[in-house]
Amino acid sequence: MTIYSLYIYDRHCTCVYYHDWHRTRRPKLAVEGGILPAVSQAVVALAAETNSSTLTIYSSPRNTLTSASGVVVAVNEMNAQSAVSPLLQAPPSPVGISSTGLAFDEEVKLVYGVVLSLRNMIKKLSGRDEQFLNYRTSAYKLHLFETLSGYKFVMLSDPGTESLRFVLRQIYVGPFLEYVVRNPLVNMDSKEYGIDNEYFRTSVDRMIRGSSFFP
Amino acid sequence: MTLTLITRRTRTLSEIFTWWTSSLQFIFMAIFGLWVINKAGGLVYQRSFADGLAQLTSNEYLVLAGTLHGIHAITSRLSPIPGQSSGAQVIEGETFKISVLLTLTGTKFILLTSPAEPASSIDVLLQKIYTTYAEKVMQNPFHTPEMPIRSEAFDDWIHIITLSLRS
Repeated sequence: MTIYSLYIYDRHCTCVYYHDWHRTRRPKLAVEGGILPAVSQAVVALAAETNSSTLTIYSSPRNTLTSASGVVVAVNEMNAQSAVSPLLQAPPSPVGISSTGLAFDEEVKLVYGVVLSLRNMIKKLSGRDEQFLNYRTSAYKLHLFETLSGYKFVMLSDPGTESLRFVLRQIYVGPFLEYVVRNPLVNMDSKEYGIDNEYFRTSVDRMIRGSSFFP
Repeated sequence: MTLTLITRRTRTLSEIFTWWTSSLQFIFMAIFGLWVINKAGGLVYQRSFADGLAQLTSNEYLVLAGTLHGIHAITSRLSPIPGQSSGAQVIEGETFKISVLLTLTGTKFILLTSPAEPASSIDVLLQKIYTTYAEKVMQNPFHTPEMPIRSEAFDDWIHIITLSLRS
């Protein structure tokens, strides 16, 4: 049993968080402006880093945190990425090869489109307010957990896995509430920033790696 | 009402005690419906067998079939690992699941069943339906390919085949 990736979407259909584990081939880097900042460092092109670092360091109040004061709680700027510990830094993705052949921002939209269509289809077919749980292909299985506030947790695992809804719920109840909802520095629902921060990422990573279905 | 409550209940339990519900699955078996989608995404056959899902108009079924056709194509491209992936084979909701058989010619057979239905028996059933389709529809000289199936023989055979699993 393997876990491949985790996507979190907010109610505005935008991806606010991405994390992957046993993904041998990462998606191509997203084009600039294709996804929000602070979603995942592994898939963002860092072109903006060089020219905007001097500008934004004063323009954003959040950057007071990235000084040498100690713990970084919310990293919301792309140019503040050097502050993140090397453990969390994903290995550089091989350029040019990806399993889907898609850039990350396009992949994110496709995943959302599939999830939303299937969710509506299940609702329509059942005639009730019924949730879409998962679907399976020969290569992977996609699981969905949707919160009442419209956040969608999407996880890709290998096709033999049982339902992982409880894991997604655990991520929501545990790390998400603790390090995103209760973190005043994370600008939720802003349409401008993702929710990625060091604590949340470490916590999710630990939870997944510690679970019984992780090899 | 009580039945939906019971099924809901077993659904939540099944996430905790999968071993326990595996013995219960014989109680909640049902086939809700069968669709046949041609290679262009048009619905050429639709039939409902049991209550439990919403009664939709034929237009709504056409739209849903088209959507499913599109989703099926996209899902095969979203694979996180290298190599070919099939499209979605099983799509699960809380009280029912959708099983898809894609044939080599691009025709899709879609079976809507209760979630406890074992995958092996669904595969067998879909293969049987495919065989019947080849014999009763494709071998019929009056049938136009890719057009809606209007064949009493096919209807009858589908009825007989599904009875074996429904009883």
